[in-house]
Amino acid sequence: MEAPLQVLATVVHSVSQDQLVRYADASGDHNPLHLDPAFAAGTTYGEPIAHGMLVLAFLSEMLVNSFGLRWFDGGKLQVRFRAPVYPGDVVTAGGTLQTQSAEDDWTVYRVACTNQSGVEVITGEARVPRTPRGY
Amino acid sequence: MNFVGYGMDLAALLPGQTLAEAELVVSQQAAEAYLTAVGDSSRVYIESRLVPPMALATLALAAAMRSLDLPAGTVHTGQELTFAKLVKLGVRLRYSAMVEQNAVRRGLRFLRLQTRVTHQGQVVVHAATSLAIAGGH
Repeated sequence: MEAPLQVLATVVHSVSQDQLVRYADASGDHNPLHLDPAFAAGTTYGEPIAHGMLVLAFLSEMLVNSFGLRWFDGGKLQVRFRAPVYPGDVVTAGGTLQTQSAEDDWTVYRVACTNQSGVEVITGEARVPRTPRGY
Repeated sequence: MNFVGYGMDLAALLPGQTLAEAELVVSQQAAEAYLTAVGDSSRVYIESRLVPPMALATLALAAAMRSLDLPAGTVHTGQELTFAKLVKLGVRLRYSAMVEQNAVRRGLRFLRLQTRVTHQGQVVVHAATSLAIAGGH
Protein backbone atom coordinates (compact mmCIF):
# COMPACT_ATOMS: atom_id res chain seq x y z
CA MET A 1 0.00 0.00 0.00
CA GLU A 2 1.42 3.38 -0.96
CA ALA A 3 2.39 5.80 1.77
CA PRO A 4 -0.27 8.41 2.53
CA LEU A 5 0.26 12.07 1.75
CA GLN A 6 1.85 13.87 4.68
CA VAL A 7 0.81 17.38 3.75
CA LEU A 8 -2.08 18.17 1.46
CA ALA A 9 -1.76 20.76 -1.28
CA THR A 10 -3.54 23.92 -0.19
CA VAL A 11 -6.39 25.72 -1.85
CA VAL A 12 -6.60 29.50 -1.60
CA HIS A 13 -9.69 31.63 -2.09
CA SER A 14 -10.26 35.35 -1.80
CA VAL A 15 -13.76 35.90 -0.44
CA SER A 16 -15.86 38.76 -1.79
CA GLN A 17 -19.31 40.13 -1.07
CA ASP A 18 -20.28 39.28 -4.64
CA GLN A 19 -19.37 35.68 -3.85
CA LEU A 20 -21.65 35.68 -0.83
CA VAL A 21 -24.50 36.85 -3.05
CA ARG A 22 -23.79 34.12 -5.62
CA TYR A 23 -23.52 31.53 -2.88
CA ALA A 24 -26.80 32.64 -1.31
CA ASP A 25 -28.57 32.20 -4.64
CA ALA A 26 -26.94 28.83 -5.32
CA SER A 27 -27.48 27.43 -1.83
CA GLY A 28 -30.82 28.92 -0.88
CA ASP A 29 -29.36 30.47 2.26
CA HIS A 30 -30.33 34.14 2.14
CA ASN A 31 -29.70 34.87 5.80
CA PRO A 32 -29.23 38.69 5.88
CA LEU A 33 -26.23 38.17 8.15
CA HIS A 34 -24.37 37.21 4.98
CA LEU A 35 -25.91 39.72 2.60
CA ASP A 36 -27.20 42.88 4.30
CA PRO A 37 -24.59 45.31 5.70
CA ALA A 38 -27.22 47.20 7.65
CA PHE A 39 -28.51 44.00 9.25
CA ALA A 40 -25.03 42.68 9.94
CA ALA A 41 -24.05 46.00 11.54
CA GLY A 42 -26.56 45.23 14.28
CA THR A 43 -24.88 41.91 15.12
CA THR A 44 -21.68 41.14 16.98
CA TYR A 45 -19.94 40.66 13.63
CA GLY A 46 -20.47 44.26 12.53
CA GLU A 47 -20.49 43.44 8.85
CA PRO A 48 -21.58 40.56 6.61
CA ILE A 49 -19.75 37.28 7.10
CA ALA A 50 -19.31 34.32 4.79
CA HIS A 51 -21.59 31.32 5.07
CA GLY A 52 -19.89 28.58 7.08
CA MET A 53 -20.70 26.00 4.41
CA LEU A 54 -19.06 28.23 1.77
CA VAL A 55 -15.77 28.20 3.63
CA LEU A 56 -16.19 24.50 4.33
CA ALA A 57 -16.48 23.95 0.57
CA PHE A 58 -12.87 25.16 0.29
CA LEU A 59 -11.83 22.26 2.54
CA SER A 60 -13.76 19.79 0.44
CA GLU A 61 -12.17 21.16 -2.74
CA MET A 62 -8.75 20.71 -1.16
CA LEU A 63 -9.55 17.10 -0.31
CA VAL A 64 -10.84 16.32 -3.80
CA ASN A 65 -7.68 17.85 -5.28
CA SER A 66 -5.61 15.48 -3.14
CA PHE A 67 -7.68 12.30 -3.27
CA GLY A 68 -9.99 12.63 -6.22
CA LEU A 69 -13.63 11.67 -6.08
CA ARG A 70 -12.90 8.68 -3.82
CA TRP A 71 -12.94 11.26 -1.04
CA PHE A 72 -16.72 11.13 -1.37
CA ASP A 73 -16.88 7.34 -1.17
CA GLY A 74 -17.19 7.23 2.60
CA GLY A 75 -15.17 10.34 3.46
CA LYS A 76 -16.04 12.20 6.63
CA LEU A 77 -15.43 15.77 7.76
CA GLN A 78 -15.83 16.93 11.32
CA VAL A 79 -15.11 20.61 11.94
CA ARG A 80 -15.61 23.51 14.30
CA PHE A 81 -16.13 27.05 13.07
CA ARG A 82 -13.66 29.11 15.07
CA ALA A 83 -13.83 32.60 13.63
CA PRO A 84 -15.88 34.50 11.04
CA VAL A 85 -14.70 35.06 7.49
CA TYR A 86 -15.32 38.52 6.08
CA PRO A 87 -15.45 39.74 2.47
CA GLY A 88 -11.89 40.68 1.61
CA ASP A 89 -10.40 37.81 3.59
CA VAL A 90 -8.09 35.36 1.86
CA VAL A 91 -8.69 31.83 3.10
CA THR A 92 -6.23 28.97 2.76
CA ALA A 93 -7.52 25.41 3.17
CA GLY A 94 -4.96 22.77 4.07
CA GLY A 95 -4.39 19.51 5.86
CA THR A 96 -1.68 17.40 7.47
CA LEU A 97 -1.53 13.70 8.20
CA GLN A 98 -2.72 12.97 11.72
CA THR A 99 -3.02 9.20 12.02
CA GLN A 100 -2.75 6.16 9.85
CA SER A 101 -3.29 2.56 10.67
CA ALA A 102 -2.48 -0.58 8.75
CA GLU A 103 -5.66 -2.15 10.10
CA ASP A 104 -8.09 0.66 9.43
CA ASP A 105 -9.62 1.57 6.11
CA TRP A 106 -9.06 5.24 6.85
CA THR A 107 -6.35 7.84 6.85
CA VAL A 108 -7.04 10.75 9.17
CA TYR A 109 -5.95 14.31 8.44
CA ARG A 110 -6.06 17.42 10.54
CA VAL A 111 -7.65 20.04 8.33
CA ALA A 112 -7.98 23.78 8.73
CA CYS A 113 -8.91 26.96 6.95
CA THR A 114 -6.73 29.92 7.85
CA ASN A 115 -7.19 33.58 7.01
CA GLN A 116 -4.57 36.03 5.79
CA SER A 117 -3.65 36.87 9.38
CA GLY A 118 -2.95 33.26 10.24
CA VAL A 119 -6.15 32.88 12.24
CA GLU A 120 -7.68 29.44 11.98
CA VAL A 121 -11.29 30.04 11.00
CA ILE A 122 -12.18 26.35 10.68
CA THR A 123 -10.41 23.41 12.30
CA GLY A 124 -11.22 19.75 12.26
CA GLU A 125 -10.55 16.32 10.96
CA ALA A 126 -11.03 14.54 7.67
CA ARG A 127 -11.24 10.76 7.44
CA VAL A 128 -10.25 9.68 3.96
CA PRO A 129 -11.17 6.21 2.75
CA ARG A 130 -8.10 4.26 1.72
CA THR A 131 -9.52 1.98 -0.89
CA PRO A 132 -10.65 3.65 -4.11
CA ARG A 133 -13.73 2.22 -5.77
CA GLY A 134 -13.01 3.45 -9.20
CA TYR A 135 -14.94 6.67 -9.61
CA MET B 1 -38.10 33.27 4.94
CA ASN B 2 -37.78 35.44 8.00
CA PHE B 3 -34.61 35.60 10.00
CA VAL B 4 -35.65 38.53 12.14
CA GLY B 5 -37.38 38.00 15.42
CA TYR B 6 -38.34 34.98 17.39
CA GLY B 7 -41.27 33.61 15.39
CA MET B 8 -40.62 30.00 16.27
CA ASP B 9 -40.68 28.63 19.76
CA LEU B 10 -37.29 26.96 19.71
CA ALA B 11 -37.89 25.56 23.16
CA ALA B 12 -40.67 23.44 21.73
CA LEU B 13 -38.39 21.59 19.29
CA LEU B 14 -38.10 17.98 20.34
CA PRO B 15 -35.35 15.46 19.54
CA GLY B 16 -36.53 13.35 16.64
CA GLN B 17 -38.83 16.07 15.33
CA THR B 18 -38.82 16.40 11.56
CA LEU B 19 -38.13 19.93 10.33
CA ALA B 20 -38.23 19.50 6.59
CA GLU B 21 -38.62 16.73 4.08
CA ALA B 22 -38.89 16.98 0.30
CA GLU B 23 -37.72 15.77 -3.05
CA LEU B 24 -34.60 17.27 -4.54
CA VAL B 25 -33.25 17.24 -8.08
CA VAL B 26 -29.99 18.97 -8.92
CA SER B 27 -29.66 20.07 -12.52
CA GLN B 28 -26.41 20.72 -14.32
CA GLN B 29 -27.23 24.43 -14.21
CA ALA B 30 -27.70 24.32 -10.44
CA ALA B 31 -24.49 22.33 -10.01
CA GLU B 32 -22.55 24.81 -12.12
CA ALA B 33 -24.04 27.72 -10.17
CA TYR B 34 -22.92 26.09 -6.94
CA LEU B 35 -19.40 25.37 -8.21
CA THR B 36 -19.07 28.93 -9.50
CA ALA B 37 -20.31 30.28 -6.17
CA VAL B 38 -17.71 28.34 -4.16
CA GLY B 39 -14.97 29.14 -6.66
CA ASP B 40 -14.32 25.52 -7.61
CA SER B 41 -13.07 25.53 -11.19
CA SER B 42 -12.67 21.75 -11.41
CA ARG B 43 -14.68 20.19 -14.23
CA VAL B 44 -14.59 16.72 -12.67
CA TYR B 45 -18.20 16.84 -11.50
CA ILE B 46 -19.73 18.23 -14.66
CA GLU B 47 -17.68 16.06 -17.01
CA SER B 48 -18.70 12.98 -15.00
CA ARG B 49 -22.27 14.28 -14.74
CA LEU B 50 -22.11 14.04 -10.97
CA VAL B 51 -23.77 16.19 -8.34
CA PRO B 52 -21.16 17.89 -6.12
CA PRO B 53 -21.86 16.27 -2.75
CA MET B 54 -21.16 19.49 -0.89
CA ALA B 55 -23.96 21.07 -2.93
CA LEU B 56 -26.34 18.41 -1.63
CA ALA B 57 -25.29 18.97 1.95
CA THR B 58 -25.68 22.72 1.47
CA LEU B 59 -29.13 22.54 -0.09
CA ALA B 60 -30.45 20.15 2.55
CA LEU B 61 -29.07 22.26 5.37
CA ALA B 62 -30.47 25.46 3.89
CA ALA B 63 -33.89 23.84 3.73
CA ALA B 64 -33.60 22.83 7.37
CA MET B 65 -32.58 26.34 8.40
CA ARG B 66 -35.46 27.90 6.46
CA SER B 67 -37.89 25.76 8.44
CA LEU B 68 -36.61 27.36 11.65
CA ASP B 69 -37.12 31.03 12.43
CA LEU B 70 -33.65 31.48 13.83
CA PRO B 71 -32.83 34.78 15.55
CA ALA B 72 -29.99 37.05 14.49
CA GLY B 73 -27.72 35.73 17.25
CA THR B 74 -27.51 32.23 15.83
CA VAL B 75 -23.97 30.93 15.36
CA HIS B 76 -23.04 27.91 13.25
CA THR B 77 -20.53 26.32 15.59
CA GLY B 78 -19.81 22.95 14.09
CA GLN B 79 -20.45 20.67 11.16
CA GLU B 80 -20.07 16.99 10.44
CA LEU B 81 -20.44 15.55 6.97
CA THR B 82 -20.37 11.93 5.89
CA PHE B 83 -20.33 11.18 2.20
CA ALA B 84 -21.60 7.76 1.20
CA LYS B 85 -21.91 7.75 -2.55
CA LEU B 86 -21.92 9.93 -5.62
CA VAL B 87 -25.06 10.45 -7.68
CA LYS B 88 -25.70 11.64 -11.19
CA LEU B 89 -27.12 15.03 -12.09
CA GLY B 90 -30.87 15.04 -12.58
CA VAL B 91 -31.69 12.01 -10.44
CA ARG B 92 -34.49 12.25 -7.91
CA LEU B 93 -33.19 12.56 -4.40
CA ARG B 94 -34.89 13.05 -1.10
CA TYR B 95 -33.72 15.19 1.79
CA SER B 96 -34.89 15.20 5.37
CA ALA B 97 -33.93 17.26 8.38
CA MET B 98 -34.63 16.60 12.02
CA VAL B 99 -33.76 17.82 15.47
CA GLU B 100 -31.17 15.66 17.19
CA GLN B 101 -30.62 17.71 20.30
CA ASN B 102 -32.07 20.82 21.89
CA ALA B 103 -30.56 22.02 25.15
CA VAL B 104 -29.98 25.22 27.09
CA ARG B 105 -26.73 25.77 28.97
CA ARG B 106 -25.37 28.99 30.47
CA GLY B 107 -27.94 31.15 28.74
CA LEU B 108 -27.33 29.69 25.28
CA ARG B 109 -29.56 27.34 23.35
CA PHE B 110 -27.68 24.55 21.60
CA LEU B 111 -29.40 22.93 18.67
CA ARG B 112 -28.03 19.97 16.77
CA LEU B 113 -29.73 19.13 13.50
CA GLN B 114 -29.41 15.99 11.40
CA THR B 115 -29.92 16.24 7.67
CA ARG B 116 -29.84 13.40 5.23
CA VAL B 117 -29.98 13.14 1.45
CA THR B 118 -30.98 9.78 0.03
CA HIS B 119 -31.26 8.22 -3.40
CA GLN B 120 -33.63 5.29 -3.75
CA GLY B 121 -33.50 4.80 -0.02
CA GLN B 122 -29.71 4.81 0.22
CA VAL B 123 -27.91 7.58 2.08
CA VAL B 124 -25.87 9.85 -0.17
CA VAL B 125 -24.87 12.52 2.33
CA HIS B 126 -25.43 12.74 6.05
CA ALA B 127 -24.83 15.93 8.00
CA ALA B 128 -24.93 16.99 11.61
CA THR B 129 -25.07 20.72 12.25
CA SER B 130 -24.41 22.40 15.58
CA LEU B 131 -25.93 25.80 16.30
CA ALA B 132 -25.65 28.08 19.31
CA ILE B 133 -28.38 30.65 19.82
CA ALA B 134 -28.04 33.56 22.21
CA GLY B 135 -31.33 34.52 23.77
CA GLY B 136 -33.07 31.72 21.92
CA HIS B 137 -34.95 30.43 24.89
